[in-house]
Amino acid sequence: MSTIRKYTGLLSCYFKVNLAAALEYRTSFLVQAFGMTISNASFVFFWWVAFVQIGGRIGGYDFRDVLFIWSVSSSAFGLATIIFGNLNRITAIIVTGELDTYLLQPKDVLLSLLAARTSLTAWGDLFYGVILLVLSQGRDPHAWLMYLLGVITGSLLFTAIAVSAHSCTFFFGDTTMFSSLALEFVINFCIYPIGIYPLLVRFIMYSLIPAAFIVHLPLAIARSLNYGLVLLVLAGTLGYCLFAYWFFYKGLKRYESGNLIITRM
Amino acid sequence: MSIIASNLHKEYHTRIKDEGLRASLKALVNPVYRKIIAVDDLSFTVEPGEIVAFIGPNGAGKSTTIKMLTGILHPTSGDMRVLNMDPTTRREELALHIGTVFGQRSQLWMHLPPLDSFSLLARIYELDNKSYRMRLAELSELFELQDLLKTPVRKLSLGQRIRCEIAASLLHSPKVIFLDEPTIGLDVIVKQRIRELIALLNREEKTTVFLTSHDAGDVELLAKRALVIDHGRIVIDDAVTSLRKRYLNRKVIEVTLNDTQSPLCLHLPQGAYAETPEAGKLRCIADTRQISVSDLVKYLVETLSFNDLTVSDPPMEDIIAAIFRGEEYQK
Amino acid sequence: MKSIVKYSGIARQSLLNAIQYPANIISRLLMYSLFISVFFCLWGAIYQGGEVHGYSLVQMIWYLCFTELIVFCCRTTVYTQMNDDVKSGAIAYLLVRPCHYIIFQFFQSLGELCVNLVAFGSYAIVLALTYVGVLEGFSFYNMPYILISFILGITLNFFMLISLGLTAFIWEENTGFYFVYQKLIFMLGMFIPLEFLPVWLQSIARMLPFSYVAWAPARLAVAYSSEFRDQVLPLQFLWVFASVWLAVFCYSRAVLHIQGQGG
Repeated sequence: MSTIRKYTGLLSCYFKVNLAAALEYRTSFLVQAFGMTISNASFVFFWWVAFVQIGGRIGGYDFRDVLFIWSVSSSAFGLATIIFGNLNRITAIIVTGELDTYLLQPKDVLLSLLAARTSLTAWGDLFYGVILLVLSQGRDPHAWLMYLLGVITGSLLFTAIAVSAHSCTFFFGDTTMFSSLALEFVINFCIYPIGIYPLLVRFIMYSLIPAAFIVHLPLAIARSLNYGLVLLVLAGTLGYCLFAYWFFYKGLKRYESGNLIITRM
Repeated sequence: MSIIASNLHKEYHTRIKDEGLRASLKALVNPVYRKIIAVDDLSFTVEPGEIVAFIGPNGAGKSTTIKMLTGILHPTSGDMRVLNMDPTTRREELALHIGTVFGQRSQLWMHLPPLDSFSLLARIYELDNKSYRMRLAELSELFELQDLLKTPVRKLSLGQRIRCEIAASLLHSPKVIFLDEPTIGLDVIVKQRIRELIALLNREEKTTVFLTSHDAGDVELLAKRALVIDHGRIVIDDAVTSLRKRYLNRKVIEVTLNDTQSPLCLHLPQGAYAETPEAGKLRCIADTRQISVSDLVKYLVETLSFNDLTVSDPPMEDIIAAIFRGEEYQK
Repeated sequence: MKSIVKYSGIARQSLLNAIQYPANIISRLLMYSLFISVFFCLWGAIYQGGEVHGYSLVQMIWYLCFTELIVFCCRTTVYTQMNDDVKSGAIAYLLVRPCHYIIFQFFQSLGELCVNLVAFGSYAIVLALTYVGVLEGFSFYNMPYILISFILGITLNFFMLISLGLTAFIWEENTGFYFVYQKLIFMLGMFIPLEFLPVWLQSIARMLPFSYVAWAPARLAVAYSSEFRDQVLPLQFLWVFASVWLAVFCYSRAVLHIQGQGG
């Protein structure tokens, strides 16, 4: 228990320092967050146009449902990159040897390296999700509850996916490209109705690319009020996170043995 | 003992590949590995409170050794203890008691004043607020950081940054500090200042200092003992003074001449040669196996008129260069 | 003449460089396939047969394959590099090179652009053919015009990206602008044809450069008509000139800024 307290304390300290660093550039912070919000808003515009042209439902989702999955994905990704801002740089950290800095600290390597940076644009993502939720779901308590669930599990899952993908660098050399691809895939499967996909793809969204756990299951719960499914979401998230953690440390062993292949693929 | 290394051995396997696309494809199917021995049967000990310089040419295994001692890399075989802990298995615990400065790599947040990084590091190293404040006051006095603490790191000069960097690694009062090229890229005056600080730290807090450097000055002015490593092996493990004394049996005699007479007409005895670093000066280097210093001085007194004469040992730089040229080392 | 040799040398180098890392190309082909597949699923769900705003499902998928193609071709690192050059001050060192920085950048990216156009172009055609089959009413006689329109679109996008990258000397963190620009391209033609937008927005979009990056060439390719051609090609030319001028202007301001600061 005290370990957990120690680490939450450390993470909040990292958060404060990161935020302070971000605020060193106050204007650019605002410009970035604002830019991100505008940029995200364009997608709502797309969906608005699509629904206006067709009306009714697309892949079983109505306009409100689509806005819900958007707000959860956006906030979850935002939260993940606010707290774990290095999640897109893990490969760079490994390849350039910056990893040594974290290995020399008396704390968990993975957590420290993830938390050592924050993303400015991520604040735009986070708030955009909130705004979208307020506008689209009003005071529906179930939607709010499931939004919270999705944002927390989603940010953990985004992080876990990035960690697993980047950890491949320990085994195969520079996998920046592959990792950004993996994240892109997940995000893409998060922002379109699950009903438009063939069954096989839906199955993948419950396993390898856990988009279902991030947005589609929370939405299903909010609409059907079948709260038993929460357990499924939690189990899926926990499983994925444990895997990512284990995989990273397995890779780290190779780093410590010095047999890392550091060449570009 | 602060550091014990016995029979440390470290080897890597790297993939080798010929040039060209075809070779790339071949390497994909059937990769060929080459064994590289970075550290080969390395044994040494460091006493508490010692300053040890770890020197050697590029690729000799210096950083590999430091990385093993700090737990970043695991040795292939052999044993080591730092503060009675095995770095391989107890890295996190050991990290609480050692400090590290890698000259090329910063542990400070570039965009923030050092103070912010310090308070984060205090958290990482589990210092309570009171002892952190005290320690910070101590260090900022010692390193004269008062004016720097509130300036964003990116606006500091390299010398100021290194001072903050070293102070940062000392926040948790480590018993051993590893410095990897601490003076790299600094100008002479700042280098001198950093050396003084390290020496002061060693004197005041009895911190064991283990440093690698390319700079002979670091070794000469700071370390009491030098470990010279080449091809992954210790070549010399000796006190810096005796290294200087015993090595090469050479003396340097510098003469300041009365006038700008040309010393070219000199016929120095066997075993000595001369160079003119500037007009009016003469530097003779004597091999004491062939000619004694007194004979040479006598010769100079007889043939030249001069204002001043000094006898000194060759600079460390020459000694180190000579070692790596493979010249014989006489015990 | 000498400068042609010089700049074609730069282009050749970047071409070789682009082929050097096949993983780079492969992963972006994968990304491309992902987007097209998702769009195929999505528009398949949206279309219940027939036409929407004059586009059949077949035309729609071909249209998206083409617009994505343009944006993917342009995904050179030029924006980030420009940004880094300005921020790190490396731009000051590039000034001493015996060639114009903007032209240098253009030729440096040209090799990559060509590789992309060939690789993604053929892939786009294969993908569209497998998903929805041949494009009805397509004639090879029109190919030259379509190709010119594509090249103009890509060039326009390229110089806009250069200009955006150079703004780093005013706003250190300008990624926000980049995102906004990117989304304007997305919304005003890349994700949906201009015809789908509300009428008032269409008329605004036609007056702005953004739709001439993706919408104009793709529309020309899937629903060719000589009237449309005569309407958009001159406009595309105009915007390309304007964007080149903008890039050169931003560059000269950046240089002034650097020289004023003393590096």
